[in-house]
Amino acid sequence: MMPRILAALGMIATVMGMAFLVMGPVASATPAPDPTYVKECSACHIAYPAQFLPKRSWDRILGSLDKHFGENATLSSKSLTSIKAYLEGHAADSADANPRILRDVAATQIPARITEMPFWTHIHGRLLARHAFDAPKVKSASNCTACHRGAANGHFGDDD
Amino acid sequence: MNMRFVAGVALALIIPALAYAGAAQKPVLDAYAAQAKSEQASFAGFSAERGKAFFLAKHDASAETPSCTTCHTNDPTKSGQTRAGKDLAPMAVSKTPDRFTDAEKVEKWFTRNCQSVVGRPCTAQEKGDFITFMASL
Repeated sequence: MMPRILAALGMIATVMGMAFLVMGPVASATPAPDPTYVKECSACHIAYPAQFLPKRSWDRILGSLDKHFGENATLSSKSLTSIKAYLEGHAADSADANPRILRDVAATQIPARITEMPFWTHIHGRLLARHAFDAPKVKSASNCTACHRGAANGHFGDDD
Repeated sequence: MNMRFVAGVALALIIPALAYAGAAQKPVLDAYAAQAKSEQASFAGFSAERGKAFFLAKHDASAETPSCTTCHTNDPTKSGQTRAGKDLAPMAVSKTPDRFTDAEKVEKWFTRNCQSVVGRPCTAQEKGDFITFMASL
């Protein structure tokens, strides 16, 4: 009995270790999101972690909400101010973000979407090539939750 | 517990719910009615039929969202799905009773979605017709 349990624990540890090697603390280091951000920005998609884009990207997104990926997503100025402060404070180039997120992103680049970020394409490139995101249950690469069940709470590990 | 009692309790719960379907939406509808009157003198009330036609129409203002049905499907009693794959609660008031009860939320989504789908702000008449249709299902 004992060896079997130990073997099972060993397997779990190995899988988790591998996930950590790939994602590192990216998978878990997401601060508790701002309630206004969650309320206003998770009706159509999950409230994406602020650290997945640099400040300059968030600023551009918040400055063009009337043309937000093909839809109008304008906010009241009060909500906008609070959301901007939150996203800027926790963006990829803020003090509390994982420095790996910005790897291979030039300072002059302003990524328009998370799925353009090298940290994302590095991990998901093969899935993209296989058109895995076209499956009806997934629908879009913006739909993190289709594969990462804990995505809405900031958990993106392979086993979340 | 006998079946007749269970059925009686169920009916007692369902009948008032049916009788008042749309009652929670009245304040929002009344406000749009007042606005519609000021927008057009000939305003003569809202119509579920017109609301239905508006909901199903292909407005084609944008390639991504040509119609309300792009995300909400042709059947408002069913759940919809956003373009990013998130579920949307049914629009029909019978399925989602708190729809069209929060004026600020209603106005926010009409402002956004009319601009996205219709390519212009909706009139108060169109908004009222839409809600009247959703409350009739």
